[in-house]
Formats: sequence, C-alpha cells, structure tokens
Amino acid sequence: MSITLTVNGIEHSLDVDERMPLLWALRDVLGFTGTKFGCGIARCGACTVHVDGVARRSCTIRIGRVRGKSVTTIEGLSDTGQHPLQKAWLDHNVPQCGYCQAGQIMSAAALLANNTNPSDADIDSTLRDCICRCGTYRRIRAAIKSAANEMRTER
Amino acid sequence: MSQTTRNTSPTIHKITRRRFLQAAVGAGAASLVLGFRPELIGAFSTDDEPNHVFYPSVYIEIPETGNIRLIAHRQEMGQGIRTALPMLLAEELEVRLEDVEIVQAVGDPRYGNQTTDGSASVRLNWDNLRKAGAAAREMLVRAAAQRWGVEESSLRVEAGVVHDTGSNRRASYGELASDAAKLDVPREPKLKPPSEWTILGKDRKLVDAPDIVTGQATYGADIEMPGLLIASLERPPTVGGKLVSFDASRAKEVPGVRHVFAIDPQPTAMRTFGGVAVVADNTWAAMEGRAQLEIEWDRGSASEDSDATREALQKLVDGSGRAIRSEGDFVAAKASAAKVHEAHFHGPYLVHAPMEPPVATVLVKDGNAEVWAPTQDPQTARFLVARALGMKFDDVTVNVTLLGGAFGRKAKPDFILEAAKIAQKLEGTPVKLQWTREDEVRYGYYRAQYCQKVEACLDETGKLTGWRHHTAFPTITSTFTPGAVAQAPFELGQGFTNMPYRIPNVALEASGFASDLRIGWLRSVCNTFHAHAVNCAINELAELAGRDPVAYRLELLGEPRTVEFSERDRPYGLDTGRLTRVIEAAAELSGWGKKLPNGAGHGFASHFSFLTYVAMAVQASVDNGKVKVHQVDCALDCGAIVNPDTVRAQIEGAVVFGLSFALYGEVTVKDGVVRQGNFDDYPVLQIEEMPEVRVELIHSNLPPSGVGEPGVPPVAPALTAALNRVTGKRYRDLPLAKQVG
Ligand code: FES
Ligand code: FES
Repeated sequence: MSITLTVNGIEHSLDVDERMPLLWALRDVLGFTGTKFGCGIARCGACTVHVDGVARRSCTIRIGRVRGKSVTTIEGLSDTGQHPLQKAWLDHNVPQCGYCQAGQIMSAAALLANNTNPSDADIDSTLRDCICRCGTYRRIRAAIKSAANEMRTER
Repeated sequence: MSQTTRNTSPTIHKITRRRFLQAAVGAGAASLVLGFRPELIGAFSTDDEPNHVFYPSVYIEIPETGNIRLIAHRQEMGQGIRTALPMLLAEELEVRLEDVEIVQAVGDPRYGNQTTDGSASVRLNWDNLRKAGAAAREMLVRAAAQRWGVEESSLRVEAGVVHDTGSNRRASYGELASDAAKLDVPREPKLKPPSEWTILGKDRKLVDAPDIVTGQATYGADIEMPGLLIASLERPPTVGGKLVSFDASRAKEVPGVRHVFAIDPQPTAMRTFGGVAVVADNTWAAMEGRAQLEIEWDRGSASEDSDATREALQKLVDGSGRAIRSEGDFVAAKASAAKVHEAHFHGPYLVHAPMEPPVATVLVKDGNAEVWAPTQDPQTARFLVARALGMKFDDVTVNVTLLGGAFGRKAKPDFILEAAKIAQKLEGTPVKLQWTREDEVRYGYYRAQYCQKVEACLDETGKLTGWRHHTAFPTITSTFTPGAVAQAPFELGQGFTNMPYRIPNVALEASGFASDLRIGWLRSVCNTFHAHAVNCAINELAELAGRDPVAYRLELLGEPRTVEFSERDRPYGLDTGRLTRVIEAAAELSGWGKKLPNGAGHGFASHFSFLTYVAMAVQASVDNGKVKVHQVDCALDCGAIVNPDTVRAQIEGAVVFGLSFALYGEVTVKDGVVRQGNFDDYPVLQIEEMPEVRVELIHSNLPPSGVGEPGVPPVAPALTAALNRVTGKRYRDLPLAKQVG
C-alpha cells in the first residue's frame, strides 16, 4: 500500500504508514531537509510547503492525505535559487540563524502567487504563526515587497 | 560567561602542513599555513580537563591554487560570526572576502575558548585574526621582494596579488606561498589604521545566506547517514525524578519502532535527564512510539510552585542579604531621608525557544564516538560525552552544524549526552535524538525567576541620597554544582554590582534561592532583570521628582568616570561618558520630549552589558486592551564595528526577543513541573506586532565589544515606562500584556 505523490515535479512512491505527517516523509524518507520542524502543532510555520499550490503546514498533514497531490518544498521553489523572493531575501540580508526562513519564504511565495501587490495587512495575516525567534520580521516584510515589485514589473 | 579571560597578546606561528591536515583536509602541497594561539581560557576546571597546551591552532592556509582557508572555531547561530571572522582576516591580508573559505572547526582545546556565548567572539578574536592576516601579508610581500630583488616598499598588494610598482611584475599569493612559508613570521606585524579599512566597518551579507534561502544549509536535524535511526526520549516529569518501571508493548507495535530501552540520568553532568528512549526508522515512528509508552515514575522531591517562589523571593529581599557593594552609609541616609521610595520588581522563569529544538546525532563504534550537533560549546560536549561513555577525550569527535537559534540553550550539552547514552546501546548504528518543542519548553535551563527590591532615599529637595538594591534569584551555578545557592560574581556583575549612577549612599545585597528547575543562561542572562529593576526605579524616581527621565539619568551620571569593580572589568570598565553619549543619541534619534500622536507613550531605558552601551526609547499605545509597540529607537556604542548590518540585525532581533518576554514570556511551575509546552501557551512576538526599529551606531575606534545580547535588557523597562505614560499605572512585574489587557 504505497503512497504516490509528486515532490518538486518528480513522482515518488513511499511505503510508509498513512498517519505519518508529510513533514517527516519529506525529511526522513525523501531527504528534503530544507523543510524544518519547529513545533509540530501548526503554530510556527517552519514546516510550510505548497500542496497543489497552497501553503500548508506539513507537520500536521498526514501523508495519506496528499496521495496523488503535488508538493513543492524550498528545494523546488525555483530551479536556480533565483525566485524573486530568494533574490530579495539576499538583497535585504534577511536571515539570521536561518532556521525559520524556508517556511517564511514558502508562505510568502504562496501569497505572491496570487497577489503581487500585498499590503502590510496581507503580509501580516499570511505570515501569522510564522515565527522567527531571531526577529527578522522587518526585513521579511521589506523583502516581500521588493519581490512583489519585481514580479509586477516582470509581468 | 563563567570563564575568566586572560589577556594574552597573540603569537603567530608557522606550522607544519601535517598539523593543518589534522584540522582540515586537502591542504595544497606548497601552502603557506599560519596558526595562532587564540585567547586562552580556563574553560572547564576539573582534574581530568585536557591541558591547554600551548600550540598554534586557529589556522589560515594560503594554498598555491584555490581559496584561502580559515578555520572558524566559533559557532554560527545567527549572530553572523562565520561572516565576521573572515572579514577580520581579509582586511589585513588584503584579499577579497569571497576568496576566503571557511572550515568549521570540531571541538578541540587547541582552538582555545570555543564557547560561543557572552557576546564575545569578535572581541576575543579582534587582535588575533587581524594580526594573523597582517603577518601573512608581510611574509608574502617579503617573498615577492626577494624574488624580484626589490625593496618591499616598492610593492603594493591588491586583492591577493602583489604588484611591483616599478615594473609590470605581479604575483598572486598562491604563487608566493611556498617561498613565503620559508620566511620567519614577523613578531609585531603592522595593522592598518581604521581610516584605511575597506572591509571592516562596511555592510556585508551573511556568508551562509545563499544556502539558507535555497534550503541547502545543514542544521543539527539535517544530518543524514546510512543506517541512521531516530530516537525520542520520554524523561521523568521533574528534575531528580526516577524511572520505576515501563511497559513498551504498545510502543513496539508502532510500525518502524526498533528498540525501546531506558537510559540513566547524569546528575553531575549539567543535571542531564535519563528516561525511556524509543528508537525507530523515522522521526514520526519514534514520537508515536513514545506516546504509547506506559511508565511509572518516582517523582523525587521536586515540588516547586512559581506562586510560592514569588512569595519566597519577596520575603528574601524584604530581609537582609549578602552585602555586595557598600558606599557611604545607607542606613543613616534612610534615617534622615525626607522620603523613602520603595518598589519590588518581579519576573518569571523564561525558556529559550530557539526555532530549532535541540537535536544531536551520535555514532559509537570501535571504542570511539562521533557527534554531530548544533552546540555552542563543542569542547564541553566532547569532554562530557567522553566521561559519560567511559572513553578518553581523544576518542570523541564533536562536529558542529549550523545552529537554528540558540540564545544560550545550546551551550548546555544535555541533549548530546542523552543521544550519546542512547547510541552507546546501539553500537555501530548512528542515532539521531530529536527533541520536540514540548521537550524544549519543559526540559530547559531556565532564565531565573526573580524579585528585586529597590529603596531610594530622597531629601527635602527631591535629591537622591541613598540607593539600596536587593536582588534575589536562583543561581546558574546550581546547574554545575547541584545544591549551590549563592550567586557567582559574574551573575551579579551583570547590571547589578556595576550600577553606574553617582549616589552618595549605596547598599547592594544579594540572596540566593534553591530552585527545583535547572537554571541556565538566556540571551543577556542576569542583565535582563537587573536592567528591569534599575531602569524602572530610575524612571519612577524621575517621575516623583517631576523630572524628565533622560535628563534625570544624565544628571545622576554626572561627569564621566570609570566604574570598575574587579580585575575582570579591565580594560573594559564602565565608562559613564560613553553611557551618557548613547543616552543623548537615543533621545535625539527618538525625538524625545515631543508629543506623540494617537495617545502613544514614550519610555526610556539604558544599560551597559557585555562591555557595550545601549540606550533605547520605545513608543507604545494600548488599543482595546492590546499593547501596540510603534517604534523603537536605539543608540549603541560597541566600540569598533566589524559589520554594521549585522549589528543592526542583532538590535532588531534583540527588540523582538525583548518584546516577546516583556509582553508574554512566562514559564510557570507547579509541583516541580513546567506547565507550558509549545508556542500556543508560550507565545512570542509575531510579524504583525513588529515595530519600526531605528538604530544609531556610535562611531568608535575603541576595541569591539558585545553585540548579540546588549540590545535585549533595555527593551522591557523602556516598554514598561511607555505603558505607564499611556495608562497612568505603574507596572513592576513582567510580563506586561496580561496586566494591561
Ligand atoms: S513545525 Fe509545522 S507549523 Fe511548526
Ligand atoms: S532567522 Fe532564526 S528563527 Fe528566523
């Protein structure tokens, strides 16, 4: 009873317990360690990935629920690490310890995919419960706006 | 923080390639390799401590081809040290920062002090690394001069290439390396004056950022290797609790669970817990199996209740304590005072909650142990793992990953010792022990709960004539020496003993308290509560005197002088002139004294810690019972600045850290058990609560001092003062949100 899903464009079949959270399937079974564990209760955002394009907390979705779906992790956000958010993140020198950053970027990427002109309130509500204990919030906000700007001008 | 630093001027040595190879693989055939002895520090004073033998140790290698390599002997946890260390070297070596490759060191006393805490990494390596760079540059230039038969003064260096200004000859460092290696190392290499710096003092991006934003950076939990098993550990509910019996039958039914067994506690090694380990093929199975365990514990004698602790601490400060500093005659000043103002300040236990919970991987094989862990202190980890496993120090290797935040938590290697004990039972199999968030919150080394009492004597004119401050809290030393009660001088030296104001009669007293919890250092340590009490008291006294709190501080500081209480302070005593300067700068930056819009209040605080001077103004208001912090303006004097953007980032981070605990941070205890467990009941600041932060860095060529911690202590008292302005109420306890709401 293996479970088939697509991760970063490649199909994988996993022979794991259906109850295993997607987070641990990604990290322990498939080796996508860019997605992080921070709380296990959907309250910190470190484990955020896209499931069929929607930002989801992978620590609380069972792998059985993503059967046949398409998952994107930080490793698959862009082929070259050149997503506008990734570039803006470097420009604004956002990371400190960096542990929360994959989750922040994936949450922001889902926002920008639908809204390339987000207000502060849009950013705040999208990134609620995306905790950065190092305190990079100010730069995260600035970097999202820069990336949105770039995406608007590219269109 | 507990160590004493001996100020030794660095000595730079040429070393054999063989020795470099022990530390880093792949040194080229004809390299110039220089080592220097970093600061020597008594890191661990026990008899079986490995000797701090003198030999050069932190290496730089200039190979014939390829990158210059530098050993990073301090750990990266977001403070930017892996960027700052190569900046120090590259500036004097005259190479581009991009051309320096960083090799992360394993835990080894040959590197001197590797304990990354106390905001000390730049301060302790400032001279060493610059001198090593300058020495190498001088040797390379000399090699070129000899090769071409010209004067050294006719040569110029740019980006790792020596140019002969008289001809068109040029040679790269790599081409000169083998000749340079034959020369003597200059004893006193000449350092550039700050006016010629091209790297130091300029904004640089974090070297690890490209890996971080693409998910390629390796943290503790990201270690993978063939055959790796994952462990989760159920610990006794209390410190000192013991296992009576357990039933693993249901745990073993979880698919993927391989082993269930008990490990012993290690009470003399940082009070490390034992418990029942579930070892499985993957993390989920380990956690799920653990949830199915049935265990009977002997809870031991721990019975602490934080409400009772609050009363006990208050009782202590209402009595008399151990005299720490005494000037003039406080008793007489109190007897003759026109008014005595008295205040108690309380704060709870706090836990670190770094985003990455503790995690460690250990492989025990053929009588050796190899560790991979996000540790602030790899030498202590190595020493304690060897002791726990009955091995020799040399049989243990500790590899350091990136740290996903630490804030002092990962200075304690308890999680590594647990992993080592588990791996020992599974010889030949690598085991990764993954902590949950609940483990991290419930099995922490807590910032102490405290009560501080300040009594201030005023004469008829409102002038401050006497100051008595009594501090009471459980000491960190109880973690190293179970049963210890009296605080160590380094704890009291954090914002208490060195109270900077000029007051004629001063009495400082301290009382210890025996806690049932493990006490540890959390970003800024005892400065957080001493700054809370001293600043709140000063703000209240200014209000009583009808004075502006900024002007009041400046008047109490008076003419610049140096406040020094021990050997340790030299050459870094508290210079009140520098404190005055940051107070003035923060006041100006914040528009202090102007009326704020929308009913917001302005609060002020200042503090000296980790040899750095900080003043801060916080603007806040209250909207429907919810605190809103609008803006934080901070001025900081940390001596010479290596990477200004890192300093600004650290202040932004300190504001978030400080606001988190000022508003919400509270660990409570009942029957010896911590009641919080995750971010739902231990909330921290969210992005929507992030204020504007403006930072003014004082330009200075004095030796650099701490950056990671000093921004934290003023946040809570400045916010307290701002809220006092808004609501007219006096707040003396932390956290604040529930008092305002
Ligand atoms: S680990 Fe999933 S939200 Fe925290
Ligand atoms: S950068 Fe460290 S938690 Fe966000």
